[in-house]
Amino acid sequence: MPEQRSHTRQLIGSLVVAVLIVAIAIAVVTAQFGPTSAAEQEAIEERRELREERLEERRELLEERREGR
Amino acid sequence: MEDVIETLTRGNPTEVKVILASVALSLAVYQLVLIAVGYGKLKPSFLAARPATRAHRAVGDTIAALLVVTAVMCVGWFGFEDDAALHITAAIALLTVLAIKVLVIRRWHAMGRFLPVLGISVWLLLALTWLTSAGDFLAGS
Repeated sequence: MPEQRSHTRQLIGSLVVAVLIVAIAIAVVTAQFGPTSAAEQEAIEERRELREERLEERRELLEERREGR
Repeated sequence: MEDVIETLTRGNPTEVKVILASVALSLAVYQLVLIAVGYGKLKPSFLAARPATRAHRAVGDTIAALLVVTAVMCVGWFGFEDDAALHITAAIALLTVLAIKVLVIRRWHAMGRFLPVLGISVWLLLALTWLTSAGDFLAGS
């Protein structure tokens, strides 16, 4: 019985090590990609478009105010 | 199929495939250690042969699932390109040997003596498949 319990602990420990290996592999490979992934580029593009839209809105608002005077 | 892959990977099928393949290869290296303990070639004080063998089986099932998903993604997205002949050949051989290994473990018990050879073959073919795709991609990035 104590041997069985020890084996269960060892099995769980081995699986925990496997999970750690998975996490490390994902972290290392993802770090290799850098900010060049399509999702990252898409996010940068979205942020740029949003910034331009806001600038445009501000410009239009200023023009409207000038015309109002 | 391409739409499903693009949606699931959020437009990064190659990157996701590289990650899945790299995880499979990392776990495969760990598998060598586990089975060395299982066969008594390594005798660490903190791990007995039986739990090592059981962990080897569980991690092996995970690797098999990862490889099938990666292969489906690869064929669904890239198809069979002419300039990837070595990668395609290695991958087909890998899945074939892996299927035989699974059959030996689950059905053809009499062929159990071939398991070490099959296991090493799976490992070498996985390394070759990774090197000719994910390894190339990572070296490029």
